This record gives sequence, C-alpha cells and structure tokens, in this order.
Amino acid sequence: MTSRILALSLLFLLASATMAWAMPVAEIVERANLASYYAGDDGRSEVRMTITDAQGRERQRQFVILRLNLEEGGRQLYYVYFERPADVRRMVFMVHKYLEREDDRWLFLPDLDLVRRIAAADKRSSFVGSHFLYEDVSGRAPTEDRHELAEETAVHYVLDVTPREPETVEFSRYRVWIDKENFLPVKAEYYDRGDNHYRTVEALEIEEIDGFPTVVKSRVMDLEGGGETVMEFASVRYDIGLDQSLFTERYLRRPPREVRR
Amino acid sequence: MSGHQWILPALNRPRLTIALLVLFALALAAMLPRITVDTNPENMLAADEPVRLFHDQVKKEFTLHDMVVLGVVNEEHPDGVFNPETLGRVLDLSRFAQDLSDPDNPEHRVVKRYVIAPDVVDSIEQDGPGQIRFEWLMPAAPTTREEALAVRDRALNNPMLAGTMVSEDGQALAIYLPLSTKEYAYQVRRALLDRIEQFGAVPEEFHITGLPVAEETFGVEMFIQMAISAPLAMVAIFLLMLFFFRQLNMIIAPMIVAMLTVISTMGLLIGTGQTVHIMSSMIPIFLMPIAVVDSIHILSDFFDKYQESRNREKTLKEVMDHLFTPMLFTSLTSAAGFASLALTPIPPVQVFGIFVAIGIILAWLITILLVPAYIMLLKEEKLANFGQRPVAGELKAGAAVGAPLLVRHLNWLGGFTYRHAKLIAGGSALALVVAAIGISQIQVNDNPMKWFTEKHPIRQADRVLNQHFAGTYEAYLVLEGLDQEPAPAALATELWESLWNQHAHPDRVPCDLFLDPPEWWTLEARYEAENLAKEVTDPDEFFRRLENKWEERLFAAEDDANYDFWLDALDRLGEMQGRGATFRQPEVLAWLIELEEHLIRAGTVGKSNSLTSLVRKVYQELLGGEPADYRLPESAAGVSQTLMAFQNSHRPDDLWHLTTPDFRKANIWLQLKDGDNMVMERTLADLEEFLAAHPPPVELRHDWAGLTYINVIWQEKMVYGMLWAFLGSFAVVYLMMTLLFRSPLWGLLAMIPISVTVAFIYGLIGFIGKDYDMPVAVLSALTLGLAVDFAIHFLQRSRQAYQETGSWAAARSRVFAEPARAISRNAIVVAVGFMPLLAAPLMPYKTVGFFLAAIMAVSGLATMYMLPAAIRLLEKRLFKR
Repeated sequence: MTSRILALSLLFLLASATMAWAMPVAEIVERANLASYYAGDDGRSEVRMTITDAQGRERQRQFVILRLNLEEGGRQLYYVYFERPADVRRMVFMVHKYLEREDDRWLFLPDLDLVRRIAAADKRSSFVGSHFLYEDVSGRAPTEDRHELAEETAVHYVLDVTPREPETVEFSRYRVWIDKENFLPVKAEYYDRGDNHYRTVEALEIEEIDGFPTVVKSRVMDLEGGGETVMEFASVRYDIGLDQSLFTERYLRRPPREVRR
Repeated sequence: MSGHQWILPALNRPRLTIALLVLFALALAAMLPRITVDTNPENMLAADEPVRLFHDQVKKEFTLHDMVVLGVVNEEHPDGVFNPETLGRVLDLSRFAQDLSDPDNPEHRVVKRYVIAPDVVDSIEQDGPGQIRFEWLMPAAPTTREEALAVRDRALNNPMLAGTMVSEDGQALAIYLPLSTKEYAYQVRRALLDRIEQFGAVPEEFHITGLPVAEETFGVEMFIQMAISAPLAMVAIFLLMLFFFRQLNMIIAPMIVAMLTVISTMGLLIGTGQTVHIMSSMIPIFLMPIAVVDSIHILSDFFDKYQESRNREKTLKEVMDHLFTPMLFTSLTSAAGFASLALTPIPPVQVFGIFVAIGIILAWLITILLVPAYIMLLKEEKLANFGQRPVAGELKAGAAVGAPLLVRHLNWLGGFTYRHAKLIAGGSALALVVAAIGISQIQVNDNPMKWFTEKHPIRQADRVLNQHFAGTYEAYLVLEGLDQEPAPAALATELWESLWNQHAHPDRVPCDLFLDPPEWWTLEARYEAENLAKEVTDPDEFFRRLENKWEERLFAAEDDANYDFWLDALDRLGEMQGRGATFRQPEVLAWLIELEEHLIRAGTVGKSNSLTSLVRKVYQELLGGEPADYRLPESAAGVSQTLMAFQNSHRPDDLWHLTTPDFRKANIWLQLKDGDNMVMERTLADLEEFLAAHPPPVELRHDWAGLTYINVIWQEKMVYGMLWAFLGSFAVVYLMMTLLFRSPLWGLLAMIPISVTVAFIYGLIGFIGKDYDMPVAVLSALTLGLAVDFAIHFLQRSRQAYQETGSWAAARSRVFAEPARAISRNAIVVAVGFMPLLAAPLMPYKTVGFFLAAIMAVSGLATMYMLPAAIRLLEKRLFKR
C-alpha cells in the first residue's frame, strides 16, 4: 500500500518535472523575443551610451528612442533622436522594421540638412560606432536561427543558437541565458568561426517599469579587440500613445514633442 | 722580461695547459643552450630611444600593426585578377589568413579585425535614388564575369581601397594582414606559401612582402646562413693552411684555437644574458680568421727556425721572444678597433664590438699557451721533416708551388721598395687624392629590402607589387593640434554676444527697459553662462555643465520659438566646444589635402591615406555619389555627422587609425614605393618645404613614425656613431703604436697602411656607387683593427733586423724573408677565410665578405710597399741614436 502511494507520488513528481522541462524551445524563444523588444504597445526611453575602447578612451552618446509596435512580434517603428555629442545633436535615425524583408532606415543629418535612406544589407553592422550592433538594439528575428535547449538551471533556460545562413553573419553560434521568470535574455556569448568566444552581451540591471521587466543597463564586451559599450536607460515609459505618423520623414527635420518628453 | 717566459707553463706542463684551456671553453659552452635569439632590426636602437617610444605610442594610439602584404597578380587574364576563379582563390586565402595564429603562442596572430581584404572591407555606394548602402565588398566569391567586375569597380571607386587593396590597372589585388607582433611575420609567410602551394598550377602569381616579412625573413635566414658560412670559413682556412704548411698535425692546433675561441666567446655572450642579434650572429665568422692569425705567425716562424736547432723547446723560446710583443700589440689593437664600436649609439653593434674584442684577447691567450703546448706534445719524429727552409732552388720535387712563388715575389719586392721608394710615396699620395674624390661621392643609404639579392622571392614580390600598387612601404605622419582652449569667462562672453547679435534687435542694448522674448532668453543664457564661468575653470567642465542647463531649457520650452532659440544656443555651444577638435575643422582638413597632394606631387609618396579621403568619400555618397561631390563638408558639425554616418558600417573602428576620438591628432598613412632611406629622407624634406610655404591654419606639431622612418633614424646614428668610433679608435691605436715603438714618428708610420686602406675602401665604395649602409659602416672599425696588425709585425721585425744588421739595406732582406712571408700568409688566410660569405644569398654578408677580403689585400699590399719605402726615405730620422 505505502509502496503504491510512493510510486504514485514519484510518478506525479516525475510528470510535473517533465512538464516544466517540457516548455517547447520555440515558446521560450518567442516569449524572450517579446519580453525584450515588444514590451507595451509603445515606449520611450532616454539612453546614455558609454563606448570605451581597448585603450580606455571613452566616448559618449546620448539619445532618445521612441518605439511603436505595429504587430506583436512583428513590424515595429523606431525613432532615435541624438542629443550628444554636441556636434551630432538633432541627428535622427529612423527604422521601419519588418520581419519578412529588409528594414527601411533613414538618417537625418541636420548640419548638412540631408535625409538619406540607408539600405541595410545586413543588420550586423555597428550601431553609431558602438560595440552594439543594430540587431542588439532592434532585435534579431527568431526565424533566422535554430535554437536548442542546452540546459535548464534553477533560474535560466540556456539555449544554443546557430544561424540558418551562417555566411550572412560574423558569428558561428551563440549561447544565451534566458531568465525563467521574466523571459529576458540576461546574457549571450558569441563564438566566431574558429569557435573562440569573442563577444558577450549582458543585461546588467533589470527593473520593473509600468509592469514590464525592463533592462535598464546593458553591456557589450569585445573580448577579441578589448573595449566595451554600456547602455543605460532612463525615464523609461510604456504605453504613452505614440502615433504612427511620428515615424515618417516629415518628422525627421523637426522632432516631435514626444522626443522632448 | 723576454717573451718566452710568459709561456713557460705551456712548455713545462703542456698536457695540463691544454686540459685547462679545454675545460675553460667547455665551462663556457655549457651556457650555449640558454641562447635567446633576437631578429628584430628595430633593436638596432635602444628600447627607450625616443623614436621607438613614439613609434610604439603611435601604433597604440591609432591601433596600427606591422603588416604582411599578400599580393595576387594576374597579368594574363583580360580582366586581371577580377575573374571568378582568381577571386575564389583570393577569398580562400583571405579567410585562411584571417584565422592564422601560432598554436604554441596564441598571442602571435593575425589581427582579424583590421585585415584589409575584399571580403572584410565595406563598400559604400548608391542604391537607388536617395539611398546609400553599406555592405561587405565581396562577402562571397563571384560566380559570373559581371559580378567579378562589379567588385573591381566598387573597390576602385573607393579612394581608401584604390591603389592600396586594388591596383588601378585591375591586374592586382593586395591583402593586408596586420600582426599582433611582427615576429610572427615569417610564420605567416610560410603558412601562406604552403596554402598557395595547394592551388597547384594557376594563372596568377602570389607575392608576399612588407617590411616585417623582409626583416623577419632576413633574421631567420641569417642564422641559417651562419650555420653554413662559419663552418665554410673554417674549411677554407683549413685548406689554405694545409697548402702553406703541408703538415696536418701542425695546422690542427690553429683550428683548435679557433674553435675554443668561438665557443668560449659565444658562451660568454650568452652566459652574460645578451640576446643573439643579427650583429652578434656574425661574431663566429669574424673570430674564426682572426683567431688563427697569431698561430700562423708562431707556426711560420717555428717552421722556418726549427731545422736550425731541431730542438722544439729552444725554437719555441726563440720564436716567442720574437713574437710575444708584436702579437700582444696586434691583439690589443685589433681588440681596440672592435671595442671602439662600443662608442656607437647602437646596442647590438656595441655588444658585437665588445665581444669580438674579448674574443680577440681570448684568442691571443689561447694561442700563446695552446700552440706551444701542442708542439711540445708532438712526437719528435713527426717534426723531423718539418719546415725545410723554403729557399728558392732548394725545394724537393712535389713540394709547394705557392711558397716559392711567394718567396720569389717577396725578394723582388724588397729590392723594388728600396730602389723606388720615392715612386711609391708619390703613387700613394696620388691614390689618396683619388680616394678622396671617391669618398666625396659616397651616398648614405640603406634599405632592409635590398639586404636580399635581386633574385630572392621577397625582392621580386617587392618589385612586382610596387609596380602595381601605390607602395608597400609605410610611413606615418602624425599631426597634433596645439590650440589651447580659452578660459570659461571668455567663452561665456563670446557665447552670449553671438546670441545677442543673432537674436536681438540691432538698436537694442542689453540694459534696455523694454526687451522682446528672444532678448530675454539671451540674457537668461548670459546669466547662466557667466555664473557658471565664475565657478569652474576647466573649459570642458564648463561646456558640459552649460550644455546640461541649456538642454533643460530646451526641453522645458513652451513654444517653438523658445525651442528654436535654445537649439541655436546649444548649436553655438557645440560649435565652440568642437574647436579643440582640430581635425574636424574643414579648413584644417582642406590644408591637409594640400599637404598630401604636395607630397604625392613631389614623387616619393604613391598614396596618402587619411581622414580627408574618408570624409570626402562618405560625404560624396551621402550627397548622391556624383564625382563633383567628392569634397569636404562646410562645417565641423558636417564633418562629425558624416563620420557618424560612417560609423554605422561594419568597421567603425577603422576611423581610429586616422584620428584620435578627441580629433586633436591625425595620422596620415603614406605609402612609399621605395624603402630606401634616401626616399624617406626626401619625403621628410618635402614635408618641411611644404610647411615652410604653407603654414597650417592652426598651430600643429608634426612627428613621424613607421619602420621606414625608424630605419632613417638608426642609419643617422650608425653613420655618425661609426665616424666617432673610427676616429676614437684611430687615436687609441696611434697612442698604442707610439707607446709600443716609444716614438711618435714610428707610431705615425704604423698608421700609414690603415689610413691608405680605409681611404681606398671608402673611395672605392664612392666610385662604384655602393650605398654606405649598415655593413659598410661597421667595416671602418674592422679595417682599423685588422690592417694595423701587418704594420706592427712589419715595423717590429724591421727594428729588430735593423738593430742586428745596422742598416736598412741589409735589414730589408731579413724582413722580406720570414716576417714578410708570415704577413702575406696571414693576409691571404684572413681574406680567403671571409670569402665564403660571398656565396651567401644575403647582401650584407656579401658586402662584408667582399670588403674584408679587399681590406686584407689592400692593407697587406700597403704594408709591404709603403712601409719599406717610408723607412727608406726616413731612415736617418727613424734610426737616429
């Protein structure tokens, strides 16, 4: 009798364990994508970026990001307004992000009074000279990679990720740690063709803002060349009711009030 | 004390003497395995030499690396290298090269990030109206002719790549491989050659060059060469001595002396912690011939005298009485000649000079102990036939032909110099005049690339690549803005006044009672700026804090007019803040373009890579890509924004090769077609000429770096260092001669052959147009040390003979017997001993080999002709009682 109960409870334990284990990888990836790039319907944040090179020389960038989701996990609009350094003040970078085709990007250079579209052949180019790449800022489509659950710890899902088209990216694989509670990726380690770990992206601080767990400090470390970039997010707000019309060429030369707070 | 007393231990305890000498050498030989090799020619300058410190600082500040250049040339295909097959192989090589690292030492690697190759550089181009595109130039190998040609056209359209990565004629493509350390260059070259080998027969040629490759390859080949040349010299000397003395068991002694000397000296060198550098690797080959010289004197004399008494000990004592003083002094003077190299400011040359000097003294010591001890150990019967007096007519059949020829010639010479002393004196004076003309034509120049012979693959690569490209030798011109930022108070005044001029009504003054809003705002800005200026003294802090204050005003603006006002205020602040950023100012960049164009027009510079071409190229593409758009933006902010656009590429950090993040310094990478120091020197002069005629718009400091420039610096040090070393040792040797002969006149006499030899050698160098380079510079000191030997022996023996006979007429026939033979044999042995160097594939060896042989020949002749002639002419003064 006791042994039957024991067997039964063991079975139950086992079942519940497998169930927890059993969250499909695709779902982990999907939820991580939404948690890191699609919080709220829209959002605004002031960003301070500190780029430190291998010699310890620092450069600052300061900008405001406006973001509007057009579809959950899909199209998005970004508006990045530069405040620092002084000589690039009012420079604007605007992105219409698509999943199924190349993004549209615009650059407004105020001193030259010039609006240029920039074709983005790939998104793995530098974001304004920092160690962050475009994809780190606007997200990499989960469909571009194969994901595999490497390990599940008490607090993390650890995924091994390999690109479906390796020739289009500079890494051969990366490993990402996703927080089980809020599904924010907290660390990603990138490996090159020679399988050397050359780059780390980390969430250093996470806060809950307007009900959304939000990375308020993140860092990229360049292990190959030395140097790092830290991004700090301040005055983060969600669901402020941004209008789609703000993300048009009209507003490049004259930033909308929403940029000004 | 007569000479032989010094060697009594060797005569009495020969076995012990030899055992102790061998033990001594073996003890030092134990140090040999601790060898550390240094093949870096940069170490020709001390590590703390300002030019090296600056060079290192520039490399660090602008993340520059020494580069290996891999050139691919296809002169047969109509599209040059731009056909799918060749580009496929280029891509393969590029990817292979990027991942190269030394498995034993991972710090030795190719710095992947800064490789310049078609697959890892960005192309910026127009992509439909109003759109530009940044993408990898050649992410995959093209499959069609059109795609291949498109790669060429895109690359040639980029001034950063044309002439650097792609040749203007489209026939060649170059991959630049930056190295974490240039010591890795040789291995990179080997790895690339192996990979290229695997392609089999292909239509294109592959060439590998770059100064680090040349220098490292030279270093490596030099050591391999040493392993061949030194033994070869030994064999040559051995055979010659066999020819002169025909007694195998006798000439083994000098060979042992040479071996022990070389082993002990190298052991001492390594044991005292010196690295074995290119210069010190030559020590064995220098010591080898010098070490046998004293043995030859002893053997020669012993050879001639033995038959008189047939008593080894008696003969040896007699020989040593004759030879001890001249041998001591020749060794001391030779040592002094080499030790004078310690006066040069070049550490490896100092080490070389000092250790050769030590080696010479060791050789002397080993010779006077070992050779007599060795003779004492030989069985009497073996000496029975030894040294039949080789007088003409007395020779047995089958005996040497060389010896009587020498004897006959020397006899004739003795008579000739006696009869025609004035003719010889006149001829010598004439020779000196001719030499002086030659010396005046000497051209100081060096080029590590030319250390290889014409046919060496590295030399060929250098020639071919410099034909196709703008140049594979790099020099870095670093400019630094020296403008001082004014004090915050002055800045505040300037700021608000410019705002007032812009926004206020022309009739108003700040203290008017009635003011419009923009005028109020201006006063608000003034209040904040002036108050802040009272608090802070550092301009940067002033800017930062004022910016924060005005930014708050900007964001608090209630209407567009107020917003626009604060935006304008911030723009003015930004413009002022950017003034310290010298190389964002369009007028500075415009001046820099003139400078670069001047250098290119002057002819030594093939291409100049700098911020100016990058800014113009990106700006051009931003404007629409028309050729006319290739120009600078009109404002500093325009330059910044152009560069910010550039930094969205794959390689934003390439910018920091050209300027520092504060834009106060700029680095101009000049590609020179020729690595000659003369070419670099002309470039330096061209720059000074430009600066004199076109002063920069702001105060700038300029400085040079790069291996080509470093070579010029150490050449300068070498030339003057050698001159001082030579003059110094000339004085020392003269003093020693005066001391030895106890007469300034005799001292002067001893200096005649050296002076004539040096004049002759350098006159010859001037006439044949051979560049005065590193090996030639080292020669002067060697000449001194070696050439004076003959004079010492000749004069010392002449004096002895004169004392014995009482007249020069009688003494000369004695001098022209055994002593003259020993001198001649020595001249021939040493000259031939250096001959194997002529077979070397490396130019400095050939040079040293050729000139040392020439020095020996000339100083031998000078001694034998001029000294007897001079003695004849000065007989009364020289021998007055």
